[in-house]
Formats: sequence, structure tokens, C-alpha cells
Amino acid sequence: MRTPLIEMRNIHKQFGGVVALDDVSVTLHRGEVVGLLGHNGAGKSTLIKILSGAYEADGGEILVDGAPVTIRSPRDARANGIETIYQTLALADNLDAVANVFLGREIVTSLGRLNDAAMEHATSDVLAKLKVVDLKSVRAPVSSLSGGQRQSIAIARAIHFQAQILIMDEPCAALGPQETAMVANVIQELKRQGLGIFLISHDLHDVFALADRLTVMKGGRVVGDCHTADVTQDDVLAMIITGRPPA
Amino acid sequence: MTDLSSPKAPADHLSAQELADHKARVMNDKKKDLIQKFAALASLLLLIVVFSATSDAFFSVSNGMTIGLQVTSIAYLGIAATCVIITGGIDLSVGSVLALSGVVAALAVKAGVPIPLGMLAGILVGGFCGFLNGVCVTQLKLPPFIATLGMMLVARGVALQITGARAVSGLGEAFGELGNGALFRVVRIGSDGFPDVIFPGIPYPVIIMVVLALGVSIMLSRTTLGRHIYAVGSNTEAARLSGVNVNRVTLFTYVLSGTCAGLTGCVLMSRLVTAQPNEGVMYELDAIASAVIGGTSLIGGVGSISGTVIGAFVIGILRNGLNMNGVSAFTQQIIIGLVILLTVWIDQLRNRR
Repeated sequence: MRTPLIEMRNIHKQFGGVVALDDVSVTLHRGEVVGLLGHNGAGKSTLIKILSGAYEADGGEILVDGAPVTIRSPRDARANGIETIYQTLALADNLDAVANVFLGREIVTSLGRLNDAAMEHATSDVLAKLKVVDLKSVRAPVSSLSGGQRQSIAIARAIHFQAQILIMDEPCAALGPQETAMVANVIQELKRQGLGIFLISHDLHDVFALADRLTVMKGGRVVGDCHTADVTQDDVLAMIITGRPPA
Repeated sequence: MTDLSSPKAPADHLSAQELADHKARVMNDKKKDLIQKFAALASLLLLIVVFSATSDAFFSVSNGMTIGLQVTSIAYLGIAATCVIITGGIDLSVGSVLALSGVVAALAVKAGVPIPLGMLAGILVGGFCGFLNGVCVTQLKLPPFIATLGMMLVARGVALQITGARAVSGLGEAFGELGNGALFRVVRIGSDGFPDVIFPGIPYPVIIMVVLALGVSIMLSRTTLGRHIYAVGSNTEAARLSGVNVNRVTLFTYVLSGTCAGLTGCVLMSRLVTAQPNEGVMYELDAIASAVIGGTSLIGGVGSISGTVIGAFVIGILRNGLNMNGVSAFTQQIIIGLVILLTVWIDQLRNRR
């Protein structure tokens, strides 16, 4: 069997007395989209925040390409090629597209000054690669952009920095139908390039269209793991609600 | 669950409509920003014109120098306050911290420490106060308003305590050099034996203001640190998730604010050649007002040094011009209060999108 791109083994996390994750194990392969499903509070977001470095696990281990890694901060996650695109569109509104793509990893000249020309060039390049062409200006504050354009900038951030593993938390929740289709195209393209993608969504329709495999969580545990082709939406819905695999 | 298979045509129509709305909104935003940028400068020019017309003495070299000197202290504090406010914080302690720094410098000099070292000690005390503010905000997670309110009382109390609430005087002429001296000043002893100032020169406080304004402005617009300051104020969570060390950036702005307050204290006390433990009361409000008049948003994420310097001049010229016209100190307070209300209201309008 191939070595998974990501393997999270026996992850445990609790907040005070509340157990958020109880012995959770998930895997993700290259070129695969895994949909993480479950109700609010099922533990999807907590699991993903551990992988992206926003939380630290209380127990368990994370392996990238078969090698154990320590992830204590978003920086650690990034160093391992893990990038996250958040539901809340985590962009700094008053900054422009260029500043957002490079936030926390700015290109500086030898004198320590920001090299805006280089960053602007790279931003335009990566947005062109994502076929985002209707952007008025990469130098306008992102608060003036549409939801789809903002999502594109978040994705551009990840792509530019050679992400291997992409975590997308409700990538289409704030988007209209056309923009959702645009994001779906981008996901297909990223799959072709061999990235592994965790997709978190409440929207079964979205997930069935995009994911190769589904992992269902309930009450902080994994209750089901199946290939999208083998199940129907009703099976999965039943799994989410009852927490039992389909008969 | 959203249904993605909704009919295509209405969606197309909607997004075209949305696009038009969006374009209109962008235009509107640009217009608003432009208005804000020029409103401060225009009101500054208007003030100069009005005061020049109403008072003969207003538009003169010597009064220009006076204004320049008066504005410097507001500007030092305002420049640092801008950085703090851009991160979404506030520093209410600068007026007290400048008093503490000034008396520490004076007491050190009195005790025999060389003047530059004494003043450096004062500035370091200011920086340390700022550091404590920053620690309270980033580590103890206190709201900036409360953390710096506490420091405001503590620093003032310490300044009064160590001086016994008395002014520290008899510091010697050299102590006044920083506040009263000037670069390129040409003085000739006249035939009557009195010194004749041929060229007033550029006062040191003004030089410091220019250097500070340029330095901080470059830091904000051209360095990683500056960009992170805007990012923290714009969306703290996004900045943190992007790997920005939010605590360090925030801490830096408070240390900068405290250090600038220390500098202000030294310059002010030097100008008076006396250290007053009750100097600088309410200066923090002038600093915040100058930043806000200059377009810094109290919500965070927006602001510029050029705006703040204009704001500092608006306040300085307003005070000076009202004085020149014999307006009473009470009426001045009322007018400046109204100006602040007006500018914050403009700020609100700008952010109501």
C-alpha cells in the first residue's frame, strides 16, 4: 500500500472537561480529495485546526509522507507543506491582494525593505494560473473584492507557496453558484497536480461532486470512512445523523 | 443545505447586477478616501488663512517657529499613537509616562549623570513603561484601554512620588540645549553687547520630529513589521493564522509609544529647563486626536504618518491661532472638543459601508 501523504493517528484533544477528539485517525493520499463530514461539534474543525497548527493535540501523532512531524504553530504546518483556507476568508481586509498573498512571508530586498514589485509580479502570475482575470487591481484593498475573488486570493496564497496538502474549510459557503463552480475547477486542477485536499463542508452536494473519499465524524470520533462512488447521499446522511456505518 | 443546481439564467443576471453594484461601491470608496485625505489638509490651510486674516502676528517667522515647537510634542506622541491605533489598540498613558521620563532624566542629571546619559535613562524608562503596557495587553490579555489607563495612574503617581510633587530645577543651561537649541543658528553679538539672531536655524525638536516622522513612515509602508502592524489591526486572526507573530508586533507598538513618550518628556523638560511631575496631563488625548484627524481609524488597520502630522498641525495651529485671537482657554477646549467630535464622525461615515 502507498504511504499516505498525511496520516493523523489516534489524535486526542480536550478543552477543559469536554473531549473534542477521541482517538481520531484519518489519512489523505496524493491527488485525493477527502471530504470531512459531520454535524457542528462533531470535531471536524478541531481536527483540521490541529493539522493546520491553530491548536495543539493532547495526544496522537501526525505523519507527513510517512515521517512523524511536530506541528505546534501555523508556521510548523506551513513548513510541512500544509496550507489552510478558512471558512471565514482569513484575509486582512485593509491590505491589498499582494500583501495578503505574502502576509507573514514577505519578500524583502537585501536592505530589509519590502520588495513590492516582486510580490506584485508573483501575485499576478499565480492569479493568472488560477484563471482569475477579472480582478480590478492586485493593489486594491481586498475589502473591495467579491467573495469569489477573495477566495481565489486565499487559494493563490497556498499555491504560490507550493502547498502539498490543502485544507479547505467550507470553501464555498460564502460563494454564489458561479463562484462555487470556479472553486470546483480550481480543486480539480490542484488534484491533477498531485496535491492532497481535505474538504470540510456541510453541503453534501458539494462534497459528492468534489471528494474521492468521505470521512464521517460524530461526537469527536470517526464513525465512517468510504469511497464516494460506493455510497449514496442518503447513506452518508444517515451516517452523519446516527453515527453508524450503512448496513 | 444550499442547492447548487439552481437555474443558471437568474444567477447570471444577479451576478451582473452584483458586479455593477460592486463597481459603484469601489468608486465610492475611492472618492471617500480621497475626501478624507484632502479634508485634513484643506482644513489646515483654511485655519492658516483664517488666522492670518484675523491676527497680524499669526503669519510671521517667529510665530511659525513657536507653532513648530508646540506641534513637535503632539507629533512625537501622535506618530507613536498612530502605530498603536493601527493595531487596534490605544495608549492612554503617554502623558504620564512623559512626565515620569522627564523627571527621571532631570533627577539623574541632578545626581551628576552626564546630560545625554540622563536623557537616555529617561527615554529608556518611557520604553520600559511601554513594554509593561504591551505585556499587560499581549500576555495578561487586558483590554488596551484598561492596561494603559492603569499605567497612566501608576506612572503619574511614581513621577509625583520621586519628586515629592515638586518641580526639579537648577539643571544648568546645557540641559536646555535639546529643547531650545537649533541647528545652523547664526548669532552675532551686536554693538550694544546683546546677541543678535541673524538666522534662527532649525530647532532640534523640529529636526527630531522630521526624522521620527520619516523613520516611522518608512517602517509602516516599506517594511515587513509595518505591514504586519496593519495586518494585526485589520484582522488579528488572519494575521495570526498567516504566521504573523501578533504578540510581538503589538508589543512593539506599545514599546514605541512609551519610548516616544520618553523622548517627548525629555524634549519638553529641556525646553523649560525644569522637570515638572505634573507636565503632560491630557497629552494622550492630543496624540489620539491628531491621529484621528489625520485619518487613522480607531477600529484599526487604517492610518498614515503624513495624516497624523497634518492632524498635529491642525491641533497646534488651532490652539495657537485661538490664543492669538484672544480666545479664552475655556472656549478653546470647547472648540477643540467639537473638532474631535467632527473628525471622529467623519471617520464613522468612512467606515459605514
